Amino acid sequence: MRDFFDRLSANAHWFVFLILEITCGYLLFQFNRYQGSVWFTQANALMGTVLDWEAKAIQYIHLADNNKKLTHENLVLQYNMEVMRDELTRLKKDSSYTEKVLAEFLQDVHLIPAQIINNSIRDKDNYMTINRGELDGVKPEMGVVSGTGVVGIVFQTTNHYSLIMPILHSKSSISCRLRDTDYFGYLKWRGGNPLQAYIDDIPRHAKFHVGDIVETSGYSNVFPAGIFVGRVAQIHNSDDGLSYQLEVQLSTDLSRLREVCVVAQENQIELDSLENQVY
Amino acid sequence: MIVTLLIRLLQMLVLIAFQVLVLNHVHFLGYATPMVYVAILLYLPWNANRVGTLFLSFVMGLVLDAFSNTPGLTAASMVFAGFIQPYLLHAMAPKDTVEDMVPTYRSMGKWNHVRYVMLIVLIQQVCYFLLECFSFYNYRELLLTFAGSYVITLVIVLALESFRNRNS
Repeated sequence: MRDFFDRLSANAHWFVFLILEITCGYLLFQFNRYQGSVWFTQANALMGTVLDWEAKAIQYIHLADNNKKLTHENLVLQYNMEVMRDELTRLKKDSSYTEKVLAEFLQDVHLIPAQIINNSIRDKDNYMTINRGELDGVKPEMGVVSGTGVVGIVFQTTNHYSLIMPILHSKSSISCRLRDTDYFGYLKWRGGNPLQAYIDDIPRHAKFHVGDIVETSGYSNVFPAGIFVGRVAQIHNSDDGLSYQLEVQLSTDLSRLREVCVVAQENQIELDSLENQVY
Repeated sequence: MIVTLLIRLLQMLVLIAFQVLVLNHVHFLGYATPMVYVAILLYLPWNANRVGTLFLSFVMGLVLDAFSNTPGLTAASMVFAGFIQPYLLHAMAPKDTVEDMVPTYRSMGKWNHVRYVMLIVLIQQVCYFLLECFSFYNYRELLLTFAGSYVITLVIVLALESFRNRNS
């Protein structure tokens, strides 16, 4: 026993060295933005592979359920298509114009399908990881959508994985408008219920009702205009009483999401650099 | 005992003041910044307490970090250099050395001492720049900054050493 303690005190500097270096490392990654962010993405790239396996396994288990849902969705879509086709034949005379607009819209947008391999909804700042990265064409600041609506924005990318800042993040702010009225505001999440977010600064004179549709405005050039976000659930007064504050029921349940698409806009970089010149 | 402690404290204060007030503002050609504070490790005698050395380097690093707004960066590199320093000194000191030998040109032999200084500065600088850049993405920039800072630090430290040698 005595021998043990002797040896311990003779090597005390080793332990002190380790403790001090760990302290330094903690300070370094906690308080330096650059090192912290490098650590963050590196850790995610390493974890990515493992999480990918896990996600695949879980997906296999949910296969039957998903199949049922897809079939149902297919039916709805086919029905919708029939309705649209009828509508289109009715408006046949300016169909060439519709086609042109649609082609223009799709020309600079293409979708990169991806799967979520890591997800959290409990924290104040949630993040998701998807299994597509720079090599698949994903870049930071691109939008992420699912079949049911907006999901979030790409935050950081590595070669094969990307980190998403979903709507459920305290810094997330997505430019939204009320369909048909064009009044717009920024969608913010305040923690708590993952199906509830808020839009501030809707002016007093705006006319709208509970149940109106909220969609993306297209102002932020992250999302194209008109992507479904949710519905107005309640109308509150803002804190200063000068405008309305809308409580939005989000259409996308992020807690049970697996398949998403990244929205890549061809001319986004051009737009960004143009705006950077101005501001 | 008290006197050595006070002298050590004074040396620390002078080096920190020199670094913070003068050298932190030097960016020679945009690359090289001298980091002379590492010289504190060169003043430690052969029989210095190793745990004490580590804490000294840690505190020194933290104070400097507080001034340059990089918590943990300088401290980590200093603790590492302070950990290696006793091993280095024990390996490089002459065989017939006394217990409380302070490494100088005279006590260690001229070239031996220069080699000792070069190695300690090298260890601290490598550690510092690896942690600062934290990737080899811009390795040319990294190498250039590192080499520039290393050379300029070494020149100033060696100048300080020769000054100290003349006085003692």
